[in-house]
Amino acid sequence: MAGIAIERLSKSFGGGDTGNAAVADLSLDIAAGRFVTLLGPSGCGKTTTLRLIAGYLTPDAGTIRIGDRELSSPQHVVPPEQRGMGMVFQNYAVWPHKTVFENVAYGLKLRKVPARELITKVEAMMELVGLAGLGARYPHALSGGQQQRVALARSLVVEPEILLLDEPLSNLDAKLRERMRTELKSLQRRTGITFVYVTHDQAEALALSDEIAVLHRGRLQQFGAPRQVYAKPANRIVADFMGLVNLLPATVISASGGTGLVSASSLRLMLPLPKGAAAGAAVDLAIRPEAIKLLPLDATTAGTVPVKIEEQSYLGNLSEYYVTLADGTRLRVQTDASIEHRIGDQALAAIDPERCYVFLADGLDR
Amino acid sequence: MVVGALALLLILIVLPLGSLLIGSLVGDGGFTLENFARAVTSRLYYQALLNSLILGFWTGLLSVAIGVPLAWAVSRTNLPGKPFVRLTASIAYLSPPFLIAIAYVNLFSPNAGIVNVFMRDVLHLPALTFNIFSMTGLVFVTVPHTFPFVYLLASSALQSVDASLEESAQILGAGRLRTALTVTAPLVAPAILSGALIGFVNAIALFGSQAIIGLPGRIFTLPTRIYALFDYPPQYGLASALSLIFIAITVAALYGQRAYLARRSYVTMGGKGARHHAVDLGWSRWLLLAFCILVFAITILLPYAALIAVSLSKSWGLAFWQNLTLDNYRFILVDYDVTRRAIANSLILASLAATLAVAMGAIIGWIDLRTRISFRRIVDYVSLVPLGLPGIVMAVAILEFWLQLPIALYGTLAILLLAYWARYIPLGVRAANTALRQIDPTLEESARILGASWGQSMRDVTLPLMRPALFAGWLLVFVPAIQELSASILLFSSNSITLAVAVYNLYETGHLEAVAALAIVNMAIIGAAIAIARRIAGANEAGEPAGASS
Repeated sequence: MAGIAIERLSKSFGGGDTGNAAVADLSLDIAAGRFVTLLGPSGCGKTTTLRLIAGYLTPDAGTIRIGDRELSSPQHVVPPEQRGMGMVFQNYAVWPHKTVFENVAYGLKLRKVPARELITKVEAMMELVGLAGLGARYPHALSGGQQQRVALARSLVVEPEILLLDEPLSNLDAKLRERMRTELKSLQRRTGITFVYVTHDQAEALALSDEIAVLHRGRLQQFGAPRQVYAKPANRIVADFMGLVNLLPATVISASGGTGLVSASSLRLMLPLPKGAAAGAAVDLAIRPEAIKLLPLDATTAGTVPVKIEEQSYLGNLSEYYVTLADGTRLRVQTDASIEHRIGDQALAAIDPERCYVFLADGLDR
Repeated sequence: MVVGALALLLILIVLPLGSLLIGSLVGDGGFTLENFARAVTSRLYYQALLNSLILGFWTGLLSVAIGVPLAWAVSRTNLPGKPFVRLTASIAYLSPPFLIAIAYVNLFSPNAGIVNVFMRDVLHLPALTFNIFSMTGLVFVTVPHTFPFVYLLASSALQSVDASLEESAQILGAGRLRTALTVTAPLVAPAILSGALIGFVNAIALFGSQAIIGLPGRIFTLPTRIYALFDYPPQYGLASALSLIFIAITVAALYGQRAYLARRSYVTMGGKGARHHAVDLGWSRWLLLAFCILVFAITILLPYAALIAVSLSKSWGLAFWQNLTLDNYRFILVDYDVTRRAIANSLILASLAATLAVAMGAIIGWIDLRTRISFRRIVDYVSLVPLGLPGIVMAVAILEFWLQLPIALYGTLAILLLAYWARYIPLGVRAANTALRQIDPTLEESARILGASWGQSMRDVTLPLMRPALFAGWLLVFVPAIQELSASILLFSSNSITLAVAVYNLYETGHLEAVAALAIVNMAIIGAAIAIARRIAGANEAGEPAGASS
């Protein structure tokens, strides 16, 4: 079993100026047999990282190892064909001049697998990914989802220890994407192959991964389990990227023992503070929309603030509101759809401090 | 591989060009500008320069006058018989210009041209005779080769202009004519100008028609002047200086064409499908069709009919049909060893040149598009340099370079092959670039990660996907190579004589009937090559998917 150790990896295109780096000083330990996702907006360096792992690119600094074998360093890069990895591309990269069978069999042919064994393996793999009976077709006669399965089968049939996936689902329509998501997850669990998965879709990352590495401008922002990354974002960027969030400028009123009273607009909340946030510090307060409850004006819950309903939209499983605080500060709220508030109504907002986070206003990037 | 490609470019293009430069600037007494001074002050030479420019200008203008209406008719109207118009343009382009010139000599030479004889002796209307050996005649026989450039560029531009651009003008209140003048015309003008400039460059480079039509009328142009300088004693220095001036004109025109197209690149970008409603021309479409038929008659019907008739007659004249014969074909294919050898030589040369140019193109294209080697742009630029070199200039350069070396290449097939190879590298590069751009790099990368070495991924993925385009590129080189005259005329010997040179020599000695037969054979080879290529391409498509990229 193979884990990947990435140490102080840097890569920039063009200038070589670290300010423009696609990947900057990235260290990451991907354990064997895990489903790890590199997550971030476009241009965050996730695909570059994946291509560095695959050996298509030479790093400017840093190393990539599997076990005690060094695969990449600025001095030497083991070429992709000697890494024993698989890769699934965003555009599938299924060879248009080969049939489905020939596509899937290619890697085995290169390994000089005897004909009988080759046929057995290819057919078993096509069965596994749901392509049984389509072996004689050419890719142009397949749907997008089927082409995706060909790409998967082609990579998996050679039994790689590591499979790299570059936004493999982004070209599929929404329904198919959901289904392939489930299939990928169970495929990974059954095969035990280490998956390194690149996506910009945080919902996809949360659903699939054992661990998520959030990247921004080439730098690692946080690396952890989905639950941890969502519930305990390390900084404002992660909080902002992992789902919806209200971000308010705030001030620390008082601090003691790691917690403190934070004030933003008309809100006063007792919250855990980040290191270095003393009384008087300017901070950012992040509140998830689902952390806010809207109550009728006559409710007697403590610690509520009055708000005015500005916009309302019904989303089926929940209701979304935009509300304003006394000074006009706008908040996005998602609540149970069973209670209805009308536009223009006054209400009371109760905020769950467990789902609020405080970040230092500057020093966004570590 | 990269080093090999660079070395070849050096030997094929850079060093010969260097010799040309040195040859023009170094005289017996060291550095001199005398050659250039003579080239621009002696009437002999600046008259040739002037004639070339006049020829190019009128050819370009007439190409627009013919090409644009045809393009508009085919892409925007309900003209009947559009496939016929398209075919006319392709055949006109593919027909060797010097053979068209010879055909028209048979019809319009002042004394023996059959049309002139008919007008003068039968109808007694000498006013209706036409002397082909004139600048008018030269322009007339050149335009059939050049108008297709304008036609092709203009029609693709007209088709790619999104209909909504014109519809938005109409909804704002612009009438059809106003829309055409203020929206459509500016959008396609760069393509038309670009076609005219390519026509200009091609027209002035044609040695064959300028020698055949120009020399009897004492109209010298740059190619024929340069050619004359190789009469004994050869004047290398002056020939080099004239060649460099020739290059300067060609490069300036091509640069203008590129710059203009690049600045207005939105034109051909088009965007989504165009969806034009065909303009209903009413009865006037028959007028337009008549114009198309006239173009067909002048560019194809008349010259081909003339050549066929001449090739089948014992002696060309008004009564030629009374003594038809196949003797001329027997003469050139069986009896006369020079033409037999010429046909074989040309087949060998064209096949080899096409193969080498495309192979070289594939390597250069790959270096340019798939590697990050720092000097890949230079390789790409150098490979395009031959576009700016008229055939006869390429011959002068290669001659001067190889004559200085102790290797006796002069007069062999090898030196012709070098010239052809160098001339057609740009076509090979273009074909390979087109092919590679359509092949997503991930198709190669996914082979690599599965364990394929670079060589295996080329063999199993890249080359099979490039094959149709490379094959088309091969044909694109083979067709002009089998009729190559401009460079061959300076480089051939009696052993390495080529098809086109044999035609030219036979013509010079006055064997018009044999010339016509050889011309028909030449055209038949071109036709056969295209037919075979179509068949192979068609067979390829059957087993292969439509798009090479996924």
